[in-house]
Amino acid sequence: MSLLPLLLVRRLTFLLRPLRALVAHAWLREAEVDAVLAWLHPAWRLNRVFARVEGREWVSDDLLALRLRCNGNARGWRAGQHVQLYLEIDGVRHGRSYSLTRVGAGGRVELGGRRQPGGRLSNRILDHLPVGALVELGQAQGELHWPQGSAGVGLLAAGSGITALLGLLREALARGYAAPIRLLHCVRRAGQRAYVEELQQLMRRHPNLDVRWLLSGQDGRLQPQHLADMHGLALLACGPAGFVADLRGCYGEALQAEAFSAPVRDAAPGRAVRLDFVRSRVEAVGDSNRSLLELAEAAGLRPAHGCRQGICASCTCTLLAGAVRDLRSGTPFAEPGQAIRLCVSVPLGDVQIDL
Amino acid sequence: MRVDRELNTAELQAFASELDELRRHTLADLGAADARYIRRVRGAVRLCCWSGRALLMCGWFPPTWLLGSLLLGLGKILENMELGHNVMHGQYDWMNDPELAGTRYEWDIAGPADFWRHTHNHLHHTWTNVIGMDDDVGYGLVRLFPEQRWKPFYRWQPLWVTLQALLFQYAVAIQHLRLDQWYKGRIGAAEVHPLLRQLGAKLLRQWGKDYLLFPLLALLLGANALAVLAGNALANLLRNLWTFLVIFCGHFTERAAVFAKESVAGESRGHWYLRQLRGSSNLEGGRLFHILTGNLSHQIEHHLFPDLPARRYAELAPRVREIAARYGQVYNSGRLSAQFASVLRRIWIHRLPAPAAMP
Repeated sequence: MSLLPLLLVRRLTFLLRPLRALVAHAWLREAEVDAVLAWLHPAWRLNRVFARVEGREWVSDDLLALRLRCNGNARGWRAGQHVQLYLEIDGVRHGRSYSLTRVGAGGRVELGGRRQPGGRLSNRILDHLPVGALVELGQAQGELHWPQGSAGVGLLAAGSGITALLGLLREALARGYAAPIRLLHCVRRAGQRAYVEELQQLMRRHPNLDVRWLLSGQDGRLQPQHLADMHGLALLACGPAGFVADLRGCYGEALQAEAFSAPVRDAAPGRAVRLDFVRSRVEAVGDSNRSLLELAEAAGLRPAHGCRQGICASCTCTLLAGAVRDLRSGTPFAEPGQAIRLCVSVPLGDVQIDL
Repeated sequence: MRVDRELNTAELQAFASELDELRRHTLADLGAADARYIRRVRGAVRLCCWSGRALLMCGWFPPTWLLGSLLLGLGKILENMELGHNVMHGQYDWMNDPELAGTRYEWDIAGPADFWRHTHNHLHHTWTNVIGMDDDVGYGLVRLFPEQRWKPFYRWQPLWVTLQALLFQYAVAIQHLRLDQWYKGRIGAAEVHPLLRQLGAKLLRQWGKDYLLFPLLALLLGANALAVLAGNALANLLRNLWTFLVIFCGHFTERAAVFAKESVAGESRGHWYLRQLRGSSNLEGGRLFHILTGNLSHQIEHHLFPDLPARRYAELAPRVREIAARYGQVYNSGRLSAQFASVLRRIWIHRLPAPAAMP
């Protein structure tokens, strides 16, 4: 039940500006303002992005396209970027990253989400998120963009990497991009080819577009000869870390790429891991023997901390990516946006910390 | 007084692993019920505060004015104890909800949350009842244990304690400024100034809200601004008295122990647990009483597991009591009246130096 229609809520967003200023200077608490706004309309918030599910459609055996309508806080989003989609399960707010396949007018966006075998959250989202449900999204991130000018563009996607590239492709074609475009989508089985109907329609309508599929289950892995006709094109790639690393090996920095991978949940003790302390812009190499607090200090940072034994919570930081293990309980944490205590967390693999 | 069995290293280790196991077990069980609970508490805080403020707009009419002030006071107590204090301990960080993140929560009280996270979460919870390290032992104003060195101004400490109780939120707020250290010349003005600015900004917001904005709003609505102002003052006073009562009964009762600085050098996890158990005291009462104290009535469980959601302390208490009994440790628990009487006795007795130490 909402007291105001979403359209009005989007129109009234300008009213929030003075409230935002008051919240920014701590004269008001954001949670209190949000409680009132949410009472007026469930998707209304001061800064956070909430969206209503407007449609869902399976575009392959394991890829779901979700159409959403956001409140007025989704600003500057571009197709090809990715957002976190948050869902609360058993009291815990979980997030999963999905690519924006379309960013339309009036806060309408489309996401592509792939079913992860055994993934508790992705299955919950894909199977049980009904039309009309309300979800929270994070702000969009990602630098992938359509190359300027150039004699043509080659798009290389593996698995759900197609979603980010499709976003860019749709937008470029709508803008009237006329140079040759070649899209190669690598999947294991024929059923995993996504957006097939739409891509075939686009090919009919735009003669400069050529789409091919590589079924690694029957044709084997991507080989250099598959890429022969991409020669001279500006290349964009998106897929699992291994796929992107292989292409990097061939093309080096000429390739614009984005990789995703499931965080490593278990590391051999003492294995070297990469640490990325995002806010302080410090990257360092650490190991899985020492706490993140010690590692950060070894890297020259001076994080706020207190007791150094997990009592006082002074060193609580946000885990942005990767996985850590809590030394006291042994619990692994791999949830982006999870609050962790540096002094009792050891990295299980490469991690990004908001510090 | 308390008589505890001394534990050897092996026993301490076993004691610690039993408590660790209890903690792990509860952590693994946290879920939707805990999330629903803390959000309901927040809902109750909002309901109490806003209905209280609305009633105060009816002016001096005694039933509405009293009820309004009491509701606002109740809202402030709940916000302080069960919501703010517990959230700021990081008890709900596992929920991953930015609105209930321990490091970002700012509470409705004079002291800035950042001050509290340092003096309380870090100093007090790490060095509980260690004389010279935990400033909460008497807050520098009160001598509660014979181990504290006597100074002449302690003679009038019943008066200091009364003032502290009436102005408790300000006493807590200025603790972080370490004015005594500044007075003695151990820290410079350069260290105190930025903190003073931070405190000033928070006070401006608190006073602006309670003593300016809502009275002005009353004026605009044609209500009695003075009645609103007085209602806010009464609500804050009630909260001061209640929090003072609960907190003084947590660590300064007759059977609470204090520790020397030397005893915590190179302290093990087991010894830390043991110190928490010996330095804390529980209050017995009903469910509503526990909620109103922010479950600090389970001070022992809170000190053993400061980052577990406080609503779990009640179910942990019998198991902690059983473990304490097995290791020969006194489990200090009693009714509020009895515990507070023993605190008052301490304040009265230790205002004078111990007779033996007299010249």
